Amino acid sequence: MNQLILMAHVFFGVACLVAAVWIFVDVLNASASNQARIRKISWAAALAMWLSFLIGGYWYVVFYKADKNIILKGPWPFAHHFFMETKEHLVIMLLLLATYLPIAAANNLTVNKGARGLVLCVSGMMALLALLMEGDGAIIAMGVKVALLAK
Amino acid sequence: MNSENPGLSKYTISFGLSLTLASAVNALLVVAKEKNPKVMAGLQRLTGHHWVSHGAIVLAVFAGFGWLLAQAHRRRGMEMTASRLTGLLIFGVTIGGLIIVGFYLTAG
Repeated sequence: MNQLILMAHVFFGVACLVAAVWIFVDVLNASASNQARIRKISWAAALAMWLSFLIGGYWYVVFYKADKNIILKGPWPFAHHFFMETKEHLVIMLLLLATYLPIAAANNLTVNKGARGLVLCVSGMMALLALLMEGDGAIIAMGVKVALLAK
Repeated sequence: MNSENPGLSKYTISFGLSLTLASAVNALLVVAKEKNPKVMAGLQRLTGHHWVSHGAIVLAVFAGFGWLLAQAHRRRGMEMTASRLTGLLIFGVTIGGLIIVGFYLTAG
């Protein structure tokens, strides 16, 4: 169950990342024909991010303590001290950006160049932060693995 | 709608500014709770877990200020160009992120 929760967290995180990149590319080619799709995908990105955040948050609060103890006794304590600590706080900024995305995408992107720039900026920062979160997650998992292998 | 940005809604501006503020609050709360055990204990008491309280406070700042700023100027909202809002957003998120990364780099 513990592992399934973690997999669901990663799945929705990747879904948010894919949606952010999709919006970025779609907004570069914004027109009347793809505006409705941009808005729908921006809602999907926000939903995926909220699901990833809530599932990951539940796992962090309930299950992470055991993993943390393993990491801190292993050769990669920085997997917790730096990577988990930054991840758990940077992800809040990613959640804010994902929540804001549908608000920004509700503007008329076909005629408003400024609004297009804003959505490009928000989806671009989301994609970069989501990629960073995936990398952090991989290093945290590796921190547990190397600690167990060192036993 | 904002008169200077005919296509930019008042909520886009108010929640954009609120996001910038919430990013700064997020970063400053990290430093405050890690440096001051009383802040950490207070956050712990609030919901039972410091991170849950931390997230709830930042989300409340985002939602609260976003709504509040939209009520400014007799509910017409704030006035700002899209390029200025975009610049502020990039600045807020980048500075917030750098404070968090820098803090844990030096603290670790």
